Amino acid sequence: MKKKGLALLMAATLAFGALVGCGGGEASPAAEDSTQAADDSAASDDSAPATNEDAVANLVAATKDTVAMAVWASEEDQEFTQGLIDSFKSQYPDVTFDITLGAKSEADAKDDVLADVEAAPDVYAFADDQINELVNGGALQEVVSTYTYDVKDENLAGSVEAATLNGKLYAYPMTADNGYFLYYDKSVFSNVDSLDSMISEADAAGKKIAMMVSNAWYNYAFFKGAGFDVSLNEDGVTNTCNWNASGATDVAQAIIDLGKTGTFIDAKEDADIVTGITDGTIAAAVSGVWNADAIKEAWGDNFAAAKLPTFTCGGKQVQMSSFSGYKMIGVNPHSKNVGWAMLLAEYLTNAENQVARFEARGLGPANTEAAASEAVQASPAIAALAEQAAYATPQRVGGNYWDPANTLGLTLISGNPDGTDLQTLLDNAVEGITAPVE
Amino acid sequence: MKKKVGSFFHHLLLIILVVIWLIPILWLVVTAFSGYPGINKTHFFPETWTISNFTTLFLKPDSVVQYGRWFSNTLIIAIFTCIISTVFVLMVSYAFSCMRFKGRKTLMSLSLILNMFPGVLSMIAVYFVLKSLGLTNSHLGMIIVYSAGSGLGYLIVKGFMDTVPVSLREAARLEGASELQIFTKIMLPICKPIIVYQVINSFLLPWGDFVFAKLMLNSGISKDYTVAIGLYNMLDRSLVNQYFSIFCAGGFIVSIPISILFIIMQKFYVEGVTGGSVKG
Amino acid sequence: MKDNTNKKERFSFVGYFKDLVTAIAKGDWSVKLSMLFMGAGYTFHKQVIKGILVTIIEIAFIMMCIFYAAPNLAKFGTLGTVQFEQVLDPLTLQTTVNDYDNSFTILLNSIIALFLIVCFVFFWISNMKSVYRLQVIDNAPDSLLKKRINTFIEDINSLFSEKFHLTLLALPTLGVILMNIIPIFVMIAIAFTNYDQSHMPPNALFTWVGFANFKNILANSMTVTFGYAFKKILGWTLLWAVLATLTTFIFGVLLAMFINSRTTKWPKMWRTLFIVAIAVPQFVTLLLVRYFFGDTGIVNSICSNLGVTEFLKSVGLVSQHLNYIPFLSSEHWAKFMIVMINIWVGVPYQMLIATGVLMNIPGDQIESAKIDGANKFQTFVSITMPYVLFIQGPSLITDFVKNINNFNVIYLLTNNSFITPDQALANSNAKEVDLLVTWLFRLTNEYYNYKMASVIGIIVFIISAVFTILSFTRMIAGDREGDYQ
Repeated sequence: MKKKGLALLMAATLAFGALVGCGGGEASPAAEDSTQAADDSAASDDSAPATNEDAVANLVAATKDTVAMAVWASEEDQEFTQGLIDSFKSQYPDVTFDITLGAKSEADAKDDVLADVEAAPDVYAFADDQINELVNGGALQEVVSTYTYDVKDENLAGSVEAATLNGKLYAYPMTADNGYFLYYDKSVFSNVDSLDSMISEADAAGKKIAMMVSNAWYNYAFFKGAGFDVSLNEDGVTNTCNWNASGATDVAQAIIDLGKTGTFIDAKEDADIVTGITDGTIAAAVSGVWNADAIKEAWGDNFAAAKLPTFTCGGKQVQMSSFSGYKMIGVNPHSKNVGWAMLLAEYLTNAENQVARFEARGLGPANTEAAASEAVQASPAIAALAEQAAYATPQRVGGNYWDPANTLGLTLISGNPDGTDLQTLLDNAVEGITAPVE
Repeated sequence: MKKKVGSFFHHLLLIILVVIWLIPILWLVVTAFSGYPGINKTHFFPETWTISNFTTLFLKPDSVVQYGRWFSNTLIIAIFTCIISTVFVLMVSYAFSCMRFKGRKTLMSLSLILNMFPGVLSMIAVYFVLKSLGLTNSHLGMIIVYSAGSGLGYLIVKGFMDTVPVSLREAARLEGASELQIFTKIMLPICKPIIVYQVINSFLLPWGDFVFAKLMLNSGISKDYTVAIGLYNMLDRSLVNQYFSIFCAGGFIVSIPISILFIIMQKFYVEGVTGGSVKG
Repeated sequence: MKDNTNKKERFSFVGYFKDLVTAIAKGDWSVKLSMLFMGAGYTFHKQVIKGILVTIIEIAFIMMCIFYAAPNLAKFGTLGTVQFEQVLDPLTLQTTVNDYDNSFTILLNSIIALFLIVCFVFFWISNMKSVYRLQVIDNAPDSLLKKRINTFIEDINSLFSEKFHLTLLALPTLGVILMNIIPIFVMIAIAFTNYDQSHMPPNALFTWVGFANFKNILANSMTVTFGYAFKKILGWTLLWAVLATLTTFIFGVLLAMFINSRTTKWPKMWRTLFIVAIAVPQFVTLLLVRYFFGDTGIVNSICSNLGVTEFLKSVGLVSQHLNYIPFLSSEHWAKFMIVMINIWVGVPYQMLIATGVLMNIPGDQIESAKIDGANKFQTFVSITMPYVLFIQGPSLITDFVKNINNFNVIYLLTNNSFITPDQALANSNAKEVDLLVTWLFRLTNEYYNYKMASVIGIIVFIISAVFTILSFTRMIAGDREGDYQ
């Protein structure tokens, strides 16, 4: 029995040593940060006169150690972003940087950032739909002031609005091309103003029109187009939604009718759209710039893009709305070098580099001047997005929007197979969308 | 004559079954040689053939594909995981099978129940335990994740050890051998088939896991990945249309060594896994 | 149950504490002193090195209590009160962060601390007992039977002979504590907190809420549909586990028999071909198969070219508005396909194992059955199957539990492609095809709803544990252990 004690003891000491040792080291990162910050400011007091109003100079003067930062950009953006990081480093020859670049798709940056905010990178790219969850999870540093250019002035009003939550600016707009619009094959359609006429033209050619109606991100277009709203409450988590208000059943009926045509089809994922276009079954689709290259390749000279069409709702033609989509650069408030991270974020999103990004990667800039340039306007996809922008709204919905609205879309486009009363269907969906977070 | 007809249908059925089982594998192999990078949804066989998917994997690493690195990362993790978990499992099995001590049964049932706890659930807590030890984003951390709890999976090896006649150990004891000597000199050689089984099984674990790896290796830096997350990552919405055939090529390559191990293991599977239960 | 020899190997609470009381009551002054200074008893009974070691551990433990356990446990009741605040000075670009509390770290560290304290208590008790035993040996009247007190070297040596199990189990146990036990306790604790998207550390705090989450899982309204979703998913999880286990088992045995039969030429080759199918990592094949059977996937193209889709529509198996077969996107098709694909994945394994079992079937029984005029089917039902079931019974239950937690198959086949048509399920982020574990995974991974995920996890654990205990009597209490030993 005493040997059992000895073994236990061995185990305990080991566990103990390991855990206590590290516990000590890790116990209060906050305290460490604050002392470090205090030290730094003391240092800056010594080296730079307190009257110095140039924050960047203050920061450079206060920086003694290597500035280690991690950056996330999407897989496709790696090479381009690495180039920018290198030129950023060369702007501050007196400071040693150790900047690592990781790859994470903007579309689901939130999943990885929020899993552990402290381990998340200092600077990261994300799609604007995640901004409220990121702010709510404390993963975005408020942009209290800017140093190298004015974020609010130089970028499209829509993009600034999308980066703002409760009156505070939380991110640096990078591109304005993350929304959706209509791709169509010029040889099939002569008029893409209304879905009705498109459907008859597609029928004549034996082709389909695809849209991911069972996806909440897309089916918003119908309801918002007809004036029914869903928006985020002030708590940053739950939603307000009036998709069950009087008249909304017309929208539901409109989607059911579209589904019944058999020509307007529901795509489950992007790959379905790209494959359908490649093999010639689909002649028009609602999608975004991320599919532009694949679609262009399939259609060649017949490649065209436009704003979303109108649809028939309660006997009237209604313009489809959309979520506007922007990609942003955010700074992690848990960064050890928030100051440098903000400067880098500014650098990655300044006018010059937004133009460069368009030239290198074909991504539509969020910068007002860059977006207005001829070269940008000549790209059909980006022109279509700009056209759609008039009907688009920033994405302000909480997490409970997605699953219920997916299901609503699927039920409607499938023709409401159970024959549930439309008002009940909408009531149930709205109840799910507006449910408290439990 | 009747026998021949019977035999013909017998083998025909076997061929049909094998075809059903191998069609997806065949699709994997032919898509690996496809010239079209996305998912081919109309033709089973690719329209254009190329080996460029393989050259991309090995010769032209980009930010998405770092196959060589992934392969060596996974290999290192797999080797250490395999050593540690095999040793752990053997130690636990020997203690439970060949020794008698107070609380043995309690410990055994406790471990069985613990082994049933879904790993997916405690994943986030495991992550923070490792984070407090500073082991996230490191291969050492991955090795710990895969091997630390391996002692719980003692059942099959113990079953095998149970079938080894106790007289062997008794005889050695009479000659003055310590338990350590009995363990290393007598038990281990007898257990060779089940050790091979255990070695291969634990070696394979890191090649197939993407759930834990994705959480632990969260730096987003492609060259730190294991094969599983690297490949899984290629099917991301924005990448799948350019990388699907490369994904297939990667899946094909990683299957080759694993297939060989499986074919070797086949014999031990039959001897080892069932050996314990049958002989007992 | 023939369990009389095994009683000693079970833990007895009464005996455990009785020994302790005896030790304290009958111990001499040095034993009693050991209650405070743990090394005392050893030192005064000729085991000085051990006395020193034990004292070192005691000191280490006290240090742990002061510097680690106390600060964390002090906040354990509230899980922290100071929220994260960070201020950026726009002029110097420096940030200041307050000394905030991280509820999760407090919870984790407290549980580790509690665990160490419990370990120490056990260590302390066993220390008392062994010190008392030393006293008994030391004070025994001199005779030939008198035991000698071990030297330290002898103690070390005994760890490699009669106490070898302690050496063997020490490291694996440490691993299990680190990777299994502590995380499990943390997750159980979270089920009693409000750790969710609105309360995510490090920026926000979470705190204890008692049984509120458990009430939620039973609640049933349209806004809180967890109760409804839970019942549905639990039903499918159990059905799935039964189906998956039985189908792979039966087809595995049949396939093994088929390949083993004398008619088969080159049985090894056939077996190897089936093995190749499982040698490709599971996630690769599953993702592949998922695209294979996608709504616009290759199987659908082929089916619609061959007119299969139209045929299925006309017999009502595919609803009229679809122009594809919803293999993995409508509830019943998806469930059917998942079971079929699982057969595809699982049968080769079962075939391998069954091959081994079948090789050992007592041949004389089959022969005598044949003489009695039984046909192949009868021998299969009355001899082969009972035998295989007898051997594989316990592992079937293990498989059943594994299938309850079969994450890969369901997640990889249906994630992102299956959309539930049931609004009530959607409102609690569940799908018809979800198992409890996949639901739990998405709740944590996409919705950060750790509290509900933990509740579900505890339930999964209880279900699994019950089935494990059911099979435990056969697996461990072990009829076979005794045969040779």
